[in-house]
Amino acid sequence: MDKILLEIKNVSKSFPGVKALDGVSVNLRAGTIHSLMGENGAGKSTLMKCLFGIYHEDSGEFFLEGKKVRFSNPKQALERGISMVHQELNQVHTRSVMENIWLGRFPLGITGVDHKKMYRDTKAIFDDLNISIDPKSIISTLSVSQRQMVEIAKAVSFSSKIIVFDEPTSSLSNVEVEHLFRIIYDLRDRGCAIVYISHRMNEILQISDEVTVLRDGKLVATTPATELTTDKIITQMVGRELSNVYPPKNNIPSKVILKVEELTALYQNLRDVSFELRSGEILGVAGLVGAGRTEMLETIFGLATRKSGKIIKNGRAIRNKNSRQAKRNGFAILTEERRTTGIFGVLNIRENTTIANIKNYLVKKIYLSNRKMSADTKWSIDKFRVKTHSQSAKINTLSGGNQQKVIIGRWVLTNPDIYLFDEPTRGIDVGAKYEIYQLMLDLAGDGKAIIMVSSELPELLGVCDRILVMSNGYLSGTVDAKNTSQEEIMLLAAKHV
Amino acid sequence: MKKILALILAVMMLATVVACAAPADITTDTPADTTTDTPVDPEPDVDPDPEPEPTPEPPVEAGELRADVFWYTFADTFLASVRNDMIELEAQFPNLNLVHHDSMDSQATQTEQIQTAVMQGTDLLIVNIVTTGAEDVAMNIVEIARNAGVPVLFFNREVSDAVIQSYDDSAFIGTWAPEAGEFQGQAIAEFLLEGNNIETFDVDGDGYVRYIMLRGEHGNMEAFYRTLYSVQVANRLLEGSGVQLVPSVANETSTLYDDDGISNYFLYANWSATEAFTLVNTALSAHSPEAGDIELVIANNDDAALGAIQALQEIGFNLGDGGPMIPVFGVDATDVAVIAINNGTMTGTVMQDGRGMALAVLELANNIANGEHLMANTGHHNIDAGVAKIRIPHTIVN
Amino acid sequence: MEKKAFLSGFIGRRWQEYTALDGRGKAMWWRDFFIRNAIYIIIIVLVIYVQHFSIVNNFANRFISFGSMIDIINRSSASLFLALGVGGIIVLTGTDLSAGRVMGLAACVAASLLQNPVDIFPAKMFPNLTAPPIILVMLFVMVIGGIFGLFNGYFVAKFKLHPFIVTLSTMIIVNGIVLWYVGLNGGSPIAGLMPEYGQFVRGTVTIAGTPVPFFVFYAIIATAIMWFIWNKTTLGKNMYAVGANAEAANVSGISVKMTTILIFMIGGILYGFSGFVEAARIGSNSATTGFMSELDAIAACVIGGVSFTGGVGKIRGIVTGVILLQIIAVALQWLGVSSDVRLIITGGIILAAVSLDMQKYLAKK
Repeated sequence: MDKILLEIKNVSKSFPGVKALDGVSVNLRAGTIHSLMGENGAGKSTLMKCLFGIYHEDSGEFFLEGKKVRFSNPKQALERGISMVHQELNQVHTRSVMENIWLGRFPLGITGVDHKKMYRDTKAIFDDLNISIDPKSIISTLSVSQRQMVEIAKAVSFSSKIIVFDEPTSSLSNVEVEHLFRIIYDLRDRGCAIVYISHRMNEILQISDEVTVLRDGKLVATTPATELTTDKIITQMVGRELSNVYPPKNNIPSKVILKVEELTALYQNLRDVSFELRSGEILGVAGLVGAGRTEMLETIFGLATRKSGKIIKNGRAIRNKNSRQAKRNGFAILTEERRTTGIFGVLNIRENTTIANIKNYLVKKIYLSNRKMSADTKWSIDKFRVKTHSQSAKINTLSGGNQQKVIIGRWVLTNPDIYLFDEPTRGIDVGAKYEIYQLMLDLAGDGKAIIMVSSELPELLGVCDRILVMSNGYLSGTVDAKNTSQEEIMLLAAKHV
Repeated sequence: MKKILALILAVMMLATVVACAAPADITTDTPADTTTDTPVDPEPDVDPDPEPEPTPEPPVEAGELRADVFWYTFADTFLASVRNDMIELEAQFPNLNLVHHDSMDSQATQTEQIQTAVMQGTDLLIVNIVTTGAEDVAMNIVEIARNAGVPVLFFNREVSDAVIQSYDDSAFIGTWAPEAGEFQGQAIAEFLLEGNNIETFDVDGDGYVRYIMLRGEHGNMEAFYRTLYSVQVANRLLEGSGVQLVPSVANETSTLYDDDGISNYFLYANWSATEAFTLVNTALSAHSPEAGDIELVIANNDDAALGAIQALQEIGFNLGDGGPMIPVFGVDATDVAVIAINNGTMTGTVMQDGRGMALAVLELANNIANGEHLMANTGHHNIDAGVAKIRIPHTIVN
Repeated sequence: MEKKAFLSGFIGRRWQEYTALDGRGKAMWWRDFFIRNAIYIIIIVLVIYVQHFSIVNNFANRFISFGSMIDIINRSSASLFLALGVGGIIVLTGTDLSAGRVMGLAACVAASLLQNPVDIFPAKMFPNLTAPPIILVMLFVMVIGGIFGLFNGYFVAKFKLHPFIVTLSTMIIVNGIVLWYVGLNGGSPIAGLMPEYGQFVRGTVTIAGTPVPFFVFYAIIATAIMWFIWNKTTLGKNMYAVGANAEAANVSGISVKMTTILIFMIGGILYGFSGFVEAARIGSNSATTGFMSELDAIAACVIGGVSFTGGVGKIRGIVTGVILLQIIAVALQWLGVSSDVRLIITGGIILAAVSLDMQKYLAKK
C-alpha cells in the first residue's frame, strides 16, 4: 500500500509577524496512519486549516490522487473525500444522531425527509464499524467517545478517503481509546489515509506508520514509526533557536511569599499541584495545551473553583474565593485572552487603567476624583511607555503590546505582591515583547513575585528563575532555568499525557 | 448579604403568588369556589330547585352550567365595570358557573381560548370579540360553536347581522353602536342651545364651534360611529341656531377613512387618558382657545375626556370655578366622569348601561341552564327586527 | 495675538486640519460630518419646516416659540425618568421591558393612596383611608419600583438569564398585578387626586414670566443624580466596565452580580418615581397607564447613542434622545400628520438614527 493519496507540496502561510508554515511538504499514503506532531504553535493546525480551505496558503499546492486541488471551505473538501474529526465536536446537540450525520443532505421522500431511509443508512454504517449507538438517540445524551464515533461515522458516510483526527483521545478512557483505535485500524485496512494529531507519545508510537514533526512552521522530518523512540521525537520537536534577546536578569529571589499545597480544581483538570514562590522570583510554567497551566492560575486567583488544597501567603492560609478576595490579598492576573477577559474595548485608556483600583480614587468615600485618576493614568502611561496620544483614546485603538502594558499598569496600581501572567507576550511583536520582559524583571527586582505561563520555551528559559512543568493537570516537575534544556522540559511535559 | 437578598426575593415571590391568587378568585369561578360561594347548599347532589324539570335532559348538578366569558381585554375600564357587575349579579343565578378569560386584545389569543374551552366541554360561549370590523372572524367563532353544538352569545363589541343569522343558537347583546354617538351629539346640541351658551362657547363668534375629536382605537366600529354621529347629529339639531360644529385645525387629517367630512378629522387617543392628555397639551401649545381655534372637545370615551380636561386645567381652563371653560363630552359615564360633571369640569357623557348589559348576559345564560333557547323570555328587551340582537339603551348624563 | 490664541484653540486646530486636506479628503470630511450629525440635521430641517408651516397656516403660536418649547420640555421631563432608568440597563447590554408596567403600577398605587376624601370624591378607592404624607407615598412607590428592579437584577445576575427574558416575565407578572389592583377599584380609573398631590407635581414656579412645573425640576434633579452615579461613583465605573466586558470586569475584581442588581434596582426606583409623577400629571390612572412606554424610553436611549452592544452611553445622550423624540412627536402633531403615518415616520427616524450612529463606530475601524 504505497499509493500516495494526498501530496502536500511546499505550503507556506504567514500571519502578520509570524511565519506559521514555511515550505512544508508531506505525503499521505493510502492504508497508513500518519501522525503529525509538534509543539504548540508549530503549525499543525494551520496546515490542516490550509488543507480544508479555512485559511488560504500563500504558496504551495495540494494534489489529491495526482490531481491539483484547492478547497475554499471544509464542505468542498468533504465532498472530495477529506474529512476531519475535530477536537471540539461541532454537533447539533439537541438533534438525533442520524440527523447530525445527514445534516444538510437529508434523504428526501415524497413527504419530505425520509426518516426511515436515514435510519437504515445510519444503522448500516454503524454496523459496519461495530458501533452500537441508536441512530435515534439525541446527541447531548451521548458520551464524548460516542459522539466521536458519530463524527467518524459521518466521515465514513461521505466515503472519505482521508480522515484527520485532531487530538481524539484527549478525553477518552483507556477502554474507549482501544475501541477508537480498532475503528481507526479498520479504516486504515480499507485503504483510507489517516492523519493523527496528538501529543501522546506512546499512542503515536503504537498506532502510527509514519510520523511527521513540525517545528516553528518548518518540516523537521517524516520518519517511519519503527525507527522512532519517544526521545527521538522530542529531540525533533524542540531545539528552537534562542533567537530573542532577553534583558539582563537582575532580580534576586528572597523569602518564600506563596506556598501552594495540593491544589485541585473542582471542575477543571488540575490535580494536587504544590509549589513555592519567592519574592523577587519569576517562576515559569511550561506545558502543552490542556496541561492545566491556565487552570492553575485561575484557581489561585479565584476565577476557577477550588476543590481542595491550600494557598498560603506569608504563612497565612487564604481563601481567594473570588477575584475580589484575590485582589484584596495582593494578587494580580494578566489573562491569556486579552480581548475577551482583559481589555474593556469600548472604554478609554483612563477607564481601563483605573478600573481595578477604582475605590482608591474616591474622595471622602463619596465621589471619584478625575484629577487623581488622570494622574495615575499618566504615571502608568509614562512608566510603561504606552504609545498613545491621549488618555481618552479607546483602548481598542492601541496595538496588542500597548494594550498589554495598559493592563499591567492597571494591576500595578493595585500594588499587589504576586503577579500571575498568562501568556503575557502572545500576539505581540518582538520589540514589545522585550519591553514586557523588562517590565517583569523590573517588578521582580522590586521584590514582587511573578508566575509566568508561556508556551514558548525559549522565553521561559530566558526570563524565569525556575520553571514548573505541568502535564495533564499534574505538576510533573520543577527545573532550574539555568540548568535545564528544552528536551528535559518537553519530556516532563509529556509525562502524564 | 446574599441571604438577605434571597429572603427578600422569596417574600416577593410569595407576595406575587398571593397577589395572583386574589384575582383568580374574582375572575375564575372554579367549582370549588362555587360551593364556597353558595354555602346555603351544603349538599350539591340534592337539587335545590323546587320546580319540576321541564326539559328531558336537565343539568345533573345545580350550579354546573359552565359558561366561558372571553373579554377582549381586562384593561378596558368600562368592560371591567361590566365584569364586576356580572360577577356580583351571578350570585342571583345559582345555576351558572362563569369562567372569565382575558384575550389581551389579541384575536388569535381569543380564538385559541375559545377552542380550548370547547375542548374542555363548555356549555356556553360568551364572547366580547376582539376584532369588530371583520365578519370572517366572528363566523369562524360561530363555526367552532356549531361544530361543538354549543350556543354562542356575543356582547358589547358588535358582530354583523349575518353572523347571528347564520346560527340559530347565537345572539348579540349590546348597545346600538351609533346610538352612543347620536346621544353624545344630542347632548352637545342641547348644551349649546341652552341660555347664552352659543355666545359663550363660540369664542370668536364666527358661527362655527371648532372641536377636537379624541378618537378611540383604529378599526373599531364604535369609535367610528361615535366620531361620525356625534357631530352629524349635533349639527342636525343645531340647524337654524346659527352655529355648526367644524373640526379644529388642531386635529390631524387622516385620508385613510371615509370622506364624509367628519370621521377623518381627529386626534388618535386610543381610549387612553395619558395619550389624550399629551395630545391636547401639544394642541394647546400650537393653537389658542382664546382665539377660537379650539372651542369644544369631543371624546369617544370618558378616559380620554378626562385626559383632555387635565391638559386644559394646565392652562387654567375647566377648573370648575366659573373661570374659562371648553366644553368636554365623553361616553361611558364612568364614576370619575360623573363626579367631574358634578364638579363642573366636564360637560356631559353618555351612559352605557353596563349593569343592564351584564344582567342581560346572565339572563340569556340562565336560559341555557334551564334548557331553554338562548332568546327565550326576552320580551322586555329592545330586539332588532329579524335578528337576535338585544339593544341595551343609552342615557345622557349631564 | 488674539487670532493666534484662536488658531491654537480647538476650532482653530480643526480648521487647520480641514484646510490641510486635499479635495478628496475634504469630501470625506463632509461625508463624515453629515454622518456624525445626520440626526441633528434631520431635526433642524424638520423644525424649520414646521415653523414655516405654522406661519403659512397662521397658527396662533409659532413652532419656534416659548410655548412649544415649554410643551417639549414638559413632555421630555415626563418621559426622562424611564429613559434614565433603562439607560443604565442598556449600558449593561440588557434591556427592560417591565419599565412601563412597573411605572403603571406605581402610578395606580400612588393615586389610590392620595385620593380626595369621600365627601369630595365619592368614588374613592379606599374610602376609609386618611391620606398619608405625600413624601411617604413617593418613597413607598419608589420602593415598589426598586423591589421589581431588584427582582429583575437578581434573576439576570444570579441565573445568567438574558434580561429580555427576565423583564418580559416581570412585565407579564406586573401587568397581572396592575389589572388586579385596578380591579379592586371596579376597573374604574383611579382619579380625584388630592390637590396637594397635584400641586406637588404640577405646581409651578414662575421663571422669567413662564410657569415651570415642579416635575421639570424633579427631572433635572434626577438627571443630576444619575449623572453623578454614572460618572462619579465606583458603581458607575463598574457599570461601564461590566457592560463593556463582563468577563474582564470579573477578572478585575468587580462584582458583576452586585453591579447588575444595583443598576436594575436604580432603574426600578426611577420607574416608581416616574409613576408617582405621571399619576398626578395625568390625574386619571387606569390599567393602561404607562403601557408600552418602556419602548419610547428604549428608543430615546438608542437615539441618544446608548449602545446595545454595551459599555457605551452618556446621560447627556439620553437627555438628547428623549428631547429629540419629543420634538419629532410634537412637530408631527403640529403638521397634523395622520397618526398612522406618524408612527411610520417615527420608526423610520429611530432606525436611521441608530444606523448612522453605528456608522460612527464602523468608520473608526
